[in-house]
Amino acid sequence: MKDSFTLHELYRTAKGFTQQCDLTNRIILNFGEQVIAFRYLDFVSFRRKVDRVNLHDMIFNLDDAYDFEVIEAPKSNQQLVLTLCDLVQLRDLLSGTQFALDLNSMLHEALYTYAY
Amino acid sequence: MKDLQRLRTSLKEEVELALNAQVKMEAEASSKYLAMASWCEVNGYLYSAKYFFKQAEEEREHMLKIFHYLADQGVMAYAPEVGPVPHDYPSFRSIFEAALQSEINVTHSINRLVTLCRRVEDYATENFLQWFVKEQVEEEINARRALELFDVIGEEGTGRFQIDRHVYKITQLDVE
Repeated sequence: MKDSFTLHELYRTAKGFTQQCDLTNRIILNFGEQVIAFRYLDFVSFRRKVDRVNLHDMIFNLDDAYDFEVIEAPKSNQQLVLTLCDLVQLRDLLSGTQFALDLNSMLHEALYTYAY
Repeated sequence: MKDLQRLRTSLKEEVELALNAQVKMEAEASSKYLAMASWCEVNGYLYSAKYFFKQAEEEREHMLKIFHYLADQGVMAYAPEVGPVPHDYPSFRSIFEAALQSEINVTHSINRLVTLCRRVEDYATENFLQWFVKEQVEEEINARRALELFDVIGEEGTGRFQIDRHVYKITQLDVE
């Protein structure tokens, strides 16, 4: 059962938040209506997919196909249909989450190396 | 709170991306050598063609070595996309000049990777890369030796025929 001891908030924005579950070793993304749990490697892969979307094309291309971007979340059988605003907000959330993960890793290296 | 990143891999993301870029560079080098082999073969330089086929295989082996290392470290190794490579060369000599330049570029890239590993204190990857540092010394020597043959033998008369015959001896290839 997930509780406050195993679920840690990583980052929060107006549009969503992310948590780390120490029980399942998953990163849980809450964005809009969707909740997706990633393994670390899948999270990185998903973040790169989102970062690769060409926002410039979405802004300046008038074709309807450029109004949305469909991104599949790895191994979750879920797809996100994202507008330009969604993408900017999701990038913000994912990069903030990555920062929190990096920081946690640095803290572990600096503080806990001799604790075990 | 667990360190999920470190539990998954010891590689820093910047090292991972740089190694994947090196995978692509090795694949491109392999493809270039294949094109050189093709040029040599259709222009009658059969020993040089063998030499370049062998070089193409070696570059692919280098690529796979990094590819496996990435996978062993728990991160995704990306199968590289290789764009079009030049197939037209103005002369027999220009092929070997292009080959040397390609090896120099790879050496620079490996050196930058080692520098990056030292900066982020990734000594395991640096140790892994030392094999490539050594290998590049050998690759550059071979590429320079091939060019030296043009100066030592000369291209006049049957010179190019002789150069072609001697190229394979650089790596002691078994050519029938």
